[in-house]
Amino acid sequence: MAVAVSEVAVSRRPVWGKRARATINSLVAIILALLVGAIFISIAGASPLPAYRSLVSGSVGSEFAIGQTLIQAVPLLVIGLGLALAFRARVYNIGADGQFYLGALAAGAVAIGLPGTFGPLLIVISLIAGALAGGFWGWIVGFLRARWAVNVVISSLLLSYIATYIFTYVIRRPLRDSTASGLLGKGIPDAAQLPLVSGFGVHIGLFIALLLVPIVGYVMTRTPFGFRVRMLGMNPDAAQTTGVNSGRLIIVLMVISGGLAGLAGAIQLAGVADRLDPTLSNGYGFTAIVVALLGRLSATGVLLAALFLGALNAGGQAMSINDDVPYAVVLAIQGVFVIFLLVADRLARGR
Amino acid sequence: MNWNEVIGSSALVPLFSSGVALAVPTATAAVGECFSERAGNLNLGVEGMMLSGAFAGFIGTYYTHSVAVGVLCGIGAGVLLGILMAGLSVWLKTEQVINGIALVLFAQGLTAFVYGKLFSTSSTPTISTPANLHIPLLADIPVIGPVLFKQNSLFYIAVAAMLGVIFVLYRTRFGLSVRATGEDPAAADAAAISVDRVRWIALLVGGATAGLGGAVLVVGQLGIIQTNVTAGAGWIAVALVIFGRWNPVYVILGAFLFGTTDALQLRIQAASGGVTSGFPYEFFQALPYLVTLAVMVAVAIGARRTAQPAALGAPFRKEVAG
Repeated sequence: MAVAVSEVAVSRRPVWGKRARATINSLVAIILALLVGAIFISIAGASPLPAYRSLVSGSVGSEFAIGQTLIQAVPLLVIGLGLALAFRARVYNIGADGQFYLGALAAGAVAIGLPGTFGPLLIVISLIAGALAGGFWGWIVGFLRARWAVNVVISSLLLSYIATYIFTYVIRRPLRDSTASGLLGKGIPDAAQLPLVSGFGVHIGLFIALLLVPIVGYVMTRTPFGFRVRMLGMNPDAAQTTGVNSGRLIIVLMVISGGLAGLAGAIQLAGVADRLDPTLSNGYGFTAIVVALLGRLSATGVLLAALFLGALNAGGQAMSINDDVPYAVVLAIQGVFVIFLLVADRLARGR
Repeated sequence: MNWNEVIGSSALVPLFSSGVALAVPTATAAVGECFSERAGNLNLGVEGMMLSGAFAGFIGTYYTHSVAVGVLCGIGAGVLLGILMAGLSVWLKTEQVINGIALVLFAQGLTAFVYGKLFSTSSTPTISTPANLHIPLLADIPVIGPVLFKQNSLFYIAVAAMLGVIFVLYRTRFGLSVRATGEDPAAADAAAISVDRVRWIALLVGGATAGLGGAVLVVGQLGIIQTNVTAGAGWIAVALVIFGRWNPVYVILGAFLFGTTDALQLRIQAASGGVTSGFPYEFFQALPYLVTLAVMVAVAIGARRTAQPAALGAPFRKEVAG
């Protein structure tokens, strides 16, 4: 019913801009998904209201909680920006999780392998190594697509599995922490760790992520490159006719989105995990797809969506501890989001 | 590392036998995906459908101790997601690539939740998988007998489903409508075929086979459940359709290649001695994905012209006069 009302309101009133409409649809999808989430929570045997209360207090209720939300939001934001850019051209990279792991692996290998004498430069070098590794993994996908029209969605996902096996091998053998009882990779030296911002317990990777927002936003909306990206997404034939080299553009987009995913992995390693941990990702590469779509493929939208889903991740952890609701309810809510978002968008535009 | 255990002469028959068994869940989903793609639906939600089928199948069998109930639950879950997919792709006509990705995320979230709710606290839940049959006479043929005729009942159900789908696609009037709809929906429409109806049904068939594939994997083979138990098998099914060039027979052959690679890596992993081994068995674990990708690339390089249904992924909007 809510959808039907907004349909009338939105389609009959051209005063409302496209952006406002998209925002309203995002909000409608969020509200509906949270309602469905309440049903899931009831099924799990908890009461929705107290559970949502701990979700809120666990995500924004204290300095610590806000810090947790920001920590969760950083990888989502960094990956989400790259995906949003690529998705604009309908280059659907869904292998960001593997690119993330390879980025972390390269950053870790560099940080462990280089002598500590590099000082703060070590951080910079390892972050660059991470971005390069993720970018290389993305490049493979782009190259295969540009050269032989190999499907991006499938090849990026298959390569993602391959990347995680490479990661698992390296932390099981050459870079294993032999003192740990479980399967854990080596820790990185202190010099390679990102310093914390005082107060919220957040690492400075947050500022790298925030700095990327205006940069990616500018590239998307104010540059010829961003224009070509959009044109490729809207009409590949027209883009080709007007001289857009679509193959090269796809490669560049895969390198950028893979590179940002790799950078996110390197930041996560240097700022949060401090060691090559097999559970480094927490599914960020996939949640970032939700972030990009919920954020309407715009840089500010991605920022808001990353904060929101970061809060959901952080609050979900609090909820699973306080109210005995499985953490996976967060994943279920995310899944429902995307479906509702598609439906809300479509109904608002008229079928 | 004893390679004789892996590919020695006495190991080959068990290798192919488990290769065929491992191929079947993916093959079933891939044949169904082939069917929906031939109708023009690009269904990238196969992984989600298989995963849901696997969970529903496991839960059905876990609580009723009946394999048949499990299989029906698996098919049912696949069909439900097929309805969702058709609602998005055929009715709402939203972008099909996004629909598929959304469906996978949806199913992954939902099944992770179900797992957390039902099984996370108990010790690893198991069900007993059906025993292998021994088909009279045929099972005694050397090599082919043990490979093809000493599998369990779900294997044959899956094979029957695949043959049924192939039969419908090539030997029935409806199959002709499916192929026409995928190649030229406007012409099909002019011939009084309801394009949207055909695509709806094709997606339900695709959902049912993917759900069956997931159920066969878990109820017929693994006997255990875990989050993301399908581990990308649904994506491989989509890749198989591409490298089988939309011909279900080639798709099945491709699945066999994938299954054998999978069987090979499992053996290598077992023979290498586990986590303490110096042998990099992870590279062999990655092999099924790598082989799938490599063959997909090889087919793409070799293809002179595309075999892809012309209207694949394009929603059909009927032109209405006035």
